[in-house]
Amino acid sequence: MGKYTLIITEKPDAAKRIASALDVSQKPKKKGDNGVPYYLVTRDKEIVVVPALGHLYTVSAGTEEKNSYPVFSFNWVPRFLAERGAQRIRVWLQVITKLSREADAFVDACDYDMEGSIIGYCILKYACGDKEGVSRRMKYSTLTKEELERSYVESLPHLDFALIEAGRARHEIDWLYGINLSRALTLAAKKWSGKYRTLSTGRVQGPLLKFLVSREKSIRNFVPTPYWQIKAHVKIKGQAYVAEYAKKIIKSRKDAEAILNACKGRGRVKKVDNRQFQQSAPVPFDLGALQVEAYSLFGYGPKNTLNASQRLYLDALISYPRTSSQKLPPAINYQSILKNLNRVQEYRGLTAELLAKPALKPNEGSREDPAHPAIYPTGNLPERLLSKPDRNIWDLIVRRFMAVFGDPAIRQSVKASINVNGHVFYVKGKRTLEQGWQRFYEPYAKSEETLLPPVSEGESVDFKRVIVENKFTRPPSRYNPSSLLQKMEEVGIGTKSTRADTIQTLYERKYVRSERMTVTDLGFEVFEILKSHCRKIVSVEMTKELEDRINGIRQNSEKRQEVVAGAIEILKPVAKKLKQKEREIGERLSSAVERTRLEESVIGACPICKTGKLVIIYSRKTGKRFVGCTNYFEGLCKASFPLPQKGTIIMHRKNCRGCGWPTVQVRTGRRTWALCFNPDCPLKEEKRQRRI
Amino acid sequence: MLQSRLSVERRKEAEKNLKCPICSRKVGEQGYCRLHAEVYEVVIKKYDRWKKATEMSWKEYLREIAKNPLTGEWAREVAQYLIEVEGQKNVKNS
Repeated sequence: MGKYTLIITEKPDAAKRIASALDVSQKPKKKGDNGVPYYLVTRDKEIVVVPALGHLYTVSAGTEEKNSYPVFSFNWVPRFLAERGAQRIRVWLQVITKLSREADAFVDACDYDMEGSIIGYCILKYACGDKEGVSRRMKYSTLTKEELERSYVESLPHLDFALIEAGRARHEIDWLYGINLSRALTLAAKKWSGKYRTLSTGRVQGPLLKFLVSREKSIRNFVPTPYWQIKAHVKIKGQAYVAEYAKKIIKSRKDAEAILNACKGRGRVKKVDNRQFQQSAPVPFDLGALQVEAYSLFGYGPKNTLNASQRLYLDALISYPRTSSQKLPPAINYQSILKNLNRVQEYRGLTAELLAKPALKPNEGSREDPAHPAIYPTGNLPERLLSKPDRNIWDLIVRRFMAVFGDPAIRQSVKASINVNGHVFYVKGKRTLEQGWQRFYEPYAKSEETLLPPVSEGESVDFKRVIVENKFTRPPSRYNPSSLLQKMEEVGIGTKSTRADTIQTLYERKYVRSERMTVTDLGFEVFEILKSHCRKIVSVEMTKELEDRINGIRQNSEKRQEVVAGAIEILKPVAKKLKQKEREIGERLSSAVERTRLEESVIGACPICKTGKLVIIYSRKTGKRFVGCTNYFEGLCKASFPLPQKGTIIMHRKNCRGCGWPTVQVRTGRRTWALCFNPDCPLKEEKRQRRI
Repeated sequence: MLQSRLSVERRKEAEKNLKCPICSRKVGEQGYCRLHAEVYEVVIKKYDRWKKATEMSWKEYLREIAKNPLTGEWAREVAQYLIEVEGQKNVKNS
């Protein structure tokens, strides 16, 4: 083989797609060296396509000791030097270096975003020997043959250095924050208790914990306030309706009762407000919006949605998913995509209808991304049987793509005001007159449909029954991974690629638990420590300011070195203070770790002594598990219950619906059941009777 | 019986160790830890709203919020503790 062009991709799947797209016969030769795949492509000139495995280089400490802080000097090193379990990277880099020796031209074909740009840059600079200055850059948003060919032929003459510098700054700053603050917390706890437990925080993790703690506090401190609502069952032209009292909240019982007594007999329709309004088509998906929609429709967490989208992207079924754009430029060729989707039976009628329109104009949002358009289907059809989540996400993206070209939906609302003895009630109704875009987005489009009251002004209304409902104000709802992601987007912290991972880290560190995110004692303590010793670290403003400066690097208005130096200046006094208070911090963290460990094993309140908590205990003698009360050790409660010795015990924190005792879930193989400890539970008795 | 014995012991222990009588955190203002002191203020403040709305007594209010499922965990702990303290005061007075 003579001299060739070396193309570097981010992942093996992308390498295969690019090689197939560029090969004249679409059948590139797959080769392997020490388990590293690469492809030989025949074109006007020979091409070798070699993949990376995501990041092959990372930031690592310079010369300092492993377990100390502060650390302010760092280098970019191959990942196998910095991380345990990354030994495969060593061979991978050796193969890339070997292939680069015979190459006379280089093309970076990693994803066109911050992460992809750094991956390509590091490989070209370190593994290929300073080839970053001579390399060309492929820029594409889908892995379809047409777009890949075009992006190769029209490749950019050089790498996007502003994007690379911004990415390097983000990695370096995040590393500096992570290593110094996480080491401070972990070492403080270890020195105090002698036990190792990874505790971490970071530039984004700190403010994120702040949101969660603040919400958790408002929930735990919440005292409900009573209020009253009044509703009336009325009859209009023989049809029953529910009318709501004009004042939605009545603050005292006395006032509510007075209204109840006054509203009797017949009322008269005072005014009928009949309105028609338009509901515009939705805007195309950016990653955040897709993650939010997938969570609300299918219950998929942000990380799962991102993974599914990534798979669909690598299968060339959708465009690049890590985008913040809400724009669909005409260059993507709407008609061609719709024509291709027309081959799917479920979409046929809808695509035909859109194609028959004189012009296709998407309803776009305001957000833009310089590198990629919004997420859209490429028009390619699945070549493999898609898993259920992948299929659902693809269908959602296809239907949203069609919906953005739809006409506005037209809705009608009617609101009749009824006067009864000086008190006003409303009867409301809503319906869809023209579905418009909603038809393209079925079954995902939902709109409230209620019967319209057929009333006219002056008409008499029969008040059958008036009801007073005693209600209570409700605490704010907990964040779930999707709403937290939305909050991060709203305040502008983290990046679209890293937000889901940061949320996941909070779970892994045991700062939060369960789907409806509940902050643990450990989460509280970490936040309180950071707040009292380094308030700036958990400040959203500071995180956002750094984000803005990093974006400034991308726009050539800031320099990486200066932004990183600024971050170090913020960290220096913080690290010093944490070191001074190491003992106190260690004590607080160690006790929080213990409390969280106990909290994890708590099943619920002890129904026998009412003050202790039921926990899972392992017998020292036999090693068997059982449930006991925490008050046992103080000699105050002897409650204990057996547990099955096989299977997984899950704390689902639900009480038995029969007796109210706490229960656990037991899972053995595929079978899962709830176990109530009460031997006299009425449900158990019922079961026994049924058996007899 | 057991409950009142527990609460007396808990209080004595807490006073001795300068720990919050509700949790085991360090005691701060008003004899509670910082977190429970904050909730104590909320419980006191909310009583005005309840009184205006329902004309309930302080004791009734505490009982109501202690059993209301919407009450936050810490607020319930404070309410239950205050009920216990009130109960002991009554026993002493009688």
